[in-house]
Amino acid sequence: MTELCPHGGKGKRHRKEQAWKTMEDRKQKLLDIEHLSIIYKTDLETVYAVNDISLSLEKGQTLGLVGETGAGKTTTALAVMGLLPERTARVTRGKILLDGEDVCGMTEKELLRLRGEKASMIFQDPMTALNPVLTVGSQIGEALYLHNAQELSREQIEKKVEETLEMVGIPKERKNEYPYQFSGGMRQRVVIAIALVCNPGLLIADEPTTALDVTIQAQILSMICDLQRKYGTSVIMITHDLGVVAETCDMVGIMYAGEIVEYGTLEDIFTGKEHHPYTKGLFGSIPNLWEESDRLHPIEGLMPDPTLQPEGCRFAPRCTECGEICRSKKPPLREKDGHQIRCHFHGGGDSLSAEDRKEESHE
Amino acid sequence: MNKRKLRRMVQVKEFWRRFTKNKTAVLGLSIMIFILLIVIFADVIVPYSKCIEQAGAERLQGPGPKHFFGTDEYGRDLFARVIHGSRFSLFIGVATSLMALVFGSLIGASAGYFGGMIDNAIMRVVDVFMCVPPILLSLAVVAALGTNLRNLIIAMTISCIPGNVRLIRSVVLTVAEQDYVEAARSYGTGNGRIILRYVLPNAMGPIIVNTTMMISDMILSAAGLSFIGMGIQPPAPEWGALLSNAQTYLFSAPYMLLFPGLFIIITSLAFNLVGDGLTDALDPKLKD
Amino acid sequence: MKKYVLKRILYMIPVLLGVAFLVFTILSLTPGDPGSIILGITAKPEDIAALNAQFGYDKPFLVRFFTYIGNIIFHFDLGISYSSRQPVINDIIARFPNTFLLAVFSMIVSAVIGVSLGILSAIRQYSVLDHICVVVALVFASIPGFWLGLMLLLLFSLKLGWLPSFGAASLKHFILPTITISLTSAAGLLRLTRASMLETVRQEYIRTAKAKGAPERRVIWKHALRNALIPVITTMGTSFGASLGGAIIAETVFAMPGMGTLLTNAIRQKDVPVVMGATLFLAVLFSVVVLVVDILYAFIDPRIKAKYQNGGRSRE
Repeated sequence: MTELCPHGGKGKRHRKEQAWKTMEDRKQKLLDIEHLSIIYKTDLETVYAVNDISLSLEKGQTLGLVGETGAGKTTTALAVMGLLPERTARVTRGKILLDGEDVCGMTEKELLRLRGEKASMIFQDPMTALNPVLTVGSQIGEALYLHNAQELSREQIEKKVEETLEMVGIPKERKNEYPYQFSGGMRQRVVIAIALVCNPGLLIADEPTTALDVTIQAQILSMICDLQRKYGTSVIMITHDLGVVAETCDMVGIMYAGEIVEYGTLEDIFTGKEHHPYTKGLFGSIPNLWEESDRLHPIEGLMPDPTLQPEGCRFAPRCTECGEICRSKKPPLREKDGHQIRCHFHGGGDSLSAEDRKEESHE
Repeated sequence: MNKRKLRRMVQVKEFWRRFTKNKTAVLGLSIMIFILLIVIFADVIVPYSKCIEQAGAERLQGPGPKHFFGTDEYGRDLFARVIHGSRFSLFIGVATSLMALVFGSLIGASAGYFGGMIDNAIMRVVDVFMCVPPILLSLAVVAALGTNLRNLIIAMTISCIPGNVRLIRSVVLTVAEQDYVEAARSYGTGNGRIILRYVLPNAMGPIIVNTTMMISDMILSAAGLSFIGMGIQPPAPEWGALLSNAQTYLFSAPYMLLFPGLFIIITSLAFNLVGDGLTDALDPKLKD
Repeated sequence: MKKYVLKRILYMIPVLLGVAFLVFTILSLTPGDPGSIILGITAKPEDIAALNAQFGYDKPFLVRFFTYIGNIIFHFDLGISYSSRQPVINDIIARFPNTFLLAVFSMIVSAVIGVSLGILSAIRQYSVLDHICVVVALVFASIPGFWLGLMLLLLFSLKLGWLPSFGAASLKHFILPTITISLTSAAGLLRLTRASMLETVRQEYIRTAKAKGAPERRVIWKHALRNALIPVITTMGTSFGASLGGAIIAETVFAMPGMGTLLTNAIRQKDVPVVMGATLFLAVLFSVVVLVVDILYAFIDPRIKAKYQNGGRSRE
C-alpha cells in the first residue's frame, strides 16, 4: 500500500521510505504532487486556493478531481502546467513532480518544453479557447512546430495535422477554416487535437464537457478515453460531474475548499463503506435512477470564504455530522488500504498527515 | 423593496471603496471639486468687474503680486479672467455632454431596444452624421447659426449625438441580450419596466464613464473652436478665447498662454482621471 | 471578399448623398441671401435679386440641392465663391494637399508612437515604462492640441529658431504641426492599444497558446497582437477624422494655407459656397478613409467576412 502513499515527509523514517519508494515508483509514476499549497495574493486580499494537497498518477491512469467551482481544481491543474498567473499566484509549499522533475523549480525554458510536450491541457470553454484569427490547422500545427524534436518538414507537419484532425473526427479538408466556422463540440475536438498532437504523457482536461450538449459530451468523453488507451496517456479529469467520473476514472480525488477530502480508487469512492461527509453530500445531490426517493439531499450552505484559514475542518459549517472537535481541530488525513479520508470521524486506519504535521511542528 | 435598497447601498459602498483605493482617481476627483468651487465662488474670489476693467498703464504686465497671472493688452487682470473663464468652459463641457447624453440615450436606446425598422432607420442616419468629423460638423453649424455661446453648445451637441447613439445602442443591445432580461420578459414584465428596472441600471456603468470622458473632450473642443474664433467671442473670458488673444502676443507676452492653457489641461485631466477611476471601479476584473 | 468590398462601396453612395444633404441643409440655415451678402444691404433690390437669380437662390430648396449635386457629379463644380467670385473647387484644390498631407503625416506618426508604446506598455504592465506611458498619455490626452502647438512654436521657432513658424512652403514647415496633432492623438491610441492588449492577453486562447508551450514572445506577436489590434484598427478611421479636425485648428496656429484656414475665413465672410464645398470635400475624404479602414479590418478579422456572407451590413 505504501506505493499509493505519496506523502513525502521530512522526517528520517519517511525519507528512508521515500528512497525506497522512488526506486519502485520511477518506473510507473508519472505525476506526484506533494503537499502543494497555493495562494493568490492581491493588494486587497489573499485567497488560499489550494491547501496542502497530495496526489499521484500512474502512467495510463485517469485521475478524477471532483468538486464545486472554487474548490481549487483548476488552480492545481494550472500549477502542474506551470501556468499560474505570475503576479498573483504563489506556491507556498510542496512539490509537483512530473516524470521526476519538480515543475515548481523549473526555469521558463524547461517549462516551455514541458507544456505541450510532456503535459497539455484542455480548457473548459471551447468557444473561447481557440484563437479567432488563426486557422484551426495552424493552431494545431503550432504545437508540433514548437516541439519539433524529430525535425519534421513543413509538409510532414501538415500531414500530421491532417492525421490528428481525422483522429479527433474532423475531416482534414477543414484545417484551413477558422474557429468561428465550427460548432462547440467540433471546437472542443480541435482543442483536444491541439493538446494531443505532440503525444504528451499527461493530459489535463479541465471540465472538457461542461460547456457542451449532453450528446456531444458523451462523444467527446469516449473520444478522450479511446485516445488515452491508444497512446497510453495519463489523464487528470477535472469535473464536478460524478457521472463523468464513473465513466472515465481509475482514481478519484474529491476536493473541497482547496483540500482533498477523500482520495481513492473508483471503487473506493463509489462503493466503499467509509466516506467523507462531503462525498456523501455530493452523491446525495444527484438523482438516483434505480432507487425511489422523494427528493434529493443537497448539501446546505455555501463554500467557505477562501480568504480565511479556519481553525477546524473546512467543511464543518455545512457538515451534518459536525461535532465539537470539528470546529476547533483540523481533521487528520486517515488512510486505509489506500483510501484516504480527511475527517475526524471517518476513514479509520493510520492518520498519515497528522504525523507529518507533528514532525513539522518540531521544525 | 427594503432589501433591494439595502443591496444597492452595499453595492454603492463597495464601489466607493474601490474608487477611493485608486489614488489617481481621488486626485482627479479632488481637482474636479476644486474647479467646481472656483466656478461657484468665482465672484467671491475676484469680482467680475476686474475681468473687464481696463488699465492702460498696466498693459501686458507679467505675473506679479498685483496681477497673479499678469495682464493682457488692455491691462485687464488675467487672473480674474481665467477664474471667471472657468464658468464658460465647465458650463459648455457639462451642458453639451449632458444634452448629447440625453438625446443620444433616447435615440440610441429606442434603436437598440426596438430594433427592426426603427433601428435600421436611426442607424442609417447616424452613419451619415458619422461621416462628418465632429469639429467639421460643429463648424458647419456655427457657420450657419453664427458664433455665440448658445450656438456653440448646439453645434457641439449635434456633433456629439451620433457617437452617443452608437454607444448607447450597443450597450443596450448587450444588456438586453442578458439572461436576466430574458427572464424578466418571461414572467411578463412590460417594456417600460424592463428598460427602467433592468436595462438602464445595468447599462449605467459604461454610460457614466463615457460621459465623464466626454466632458473632458468637450472642454478641449470648445477651447479649440473658440481659439480659431468660431466659438465664444472675445471679450468674454473663455479659456480658448483667451488663448486666441494670447497668440498675437506670443513673443512679447508668452505668460498669457500659460495660465489659461494650464487650467484647460488641469480641468480636462481631472475628468479623465475620474473617468479612468470609474472604469476600474465599475469593472474590477480588468485589474489583476 | 470581393462581394464585401463591392457592397461597402455601393453603400457609400447613399451615405455620401446623405452627407451632402446634411451639409447643404445645415448651411441653408445661414441667414441672408447671396445677393445681400455680396452687395451689402444697401444695394438696390433689383441688383440683389439679379445676383440671387444668378446663384440660383430664387429656386426652391430641393431644386437647389439637386442642381448642386448634379453640378458636383457631372461638372466637378462646387459653385462660385461669394467673395472671390472664383470656382470654389479651385480654392480647394489649391489648399487641400496641405491639409491632407498634414492629416496623413499626423496619422502615421500617432499610429506608430501610440500603437507601439501601447503594446510595449501592456506587455510590460506595472513596469516603470508602463507607469510613465500611462501618466504621459493621460496628460497628453488632456492637452488641447493648439496650446501644445503654441508652446512648440514658442520653443522651436521663436526661442531656438530651428523650425519655421508659419506657412507650408517646405516639408520642414510640416514638422511642428504634425507633432502638435500627433502627440495628442497618439495619447488616445496608446491608451486604447494598451487596454485592448491587456484585455486580449487575459483571453482563454492565450492560455491555450501558452499550454502548447509557445514562448512569451510568440504568444504576444502571433496570438495576442492581431486580436488586440482589431479594436485599434476600427478606430483608425475615427482617428483620421480627429487628425483632420486637428489639422483644421493647427493650420490656424501655424498660419498654414489649408482647408482649415479656408473654412474659418469663409465662415467669417459668410461665404456659404466655400464653407459648403470645403465641408463636403473633407467629409467625403473622411468617409473614403473610413471605408478603406473597414475593408482593411475585414482582412484582419476573418469573422467579419463571415458576417458579411450571412448578409449583415452594419459597421459595428
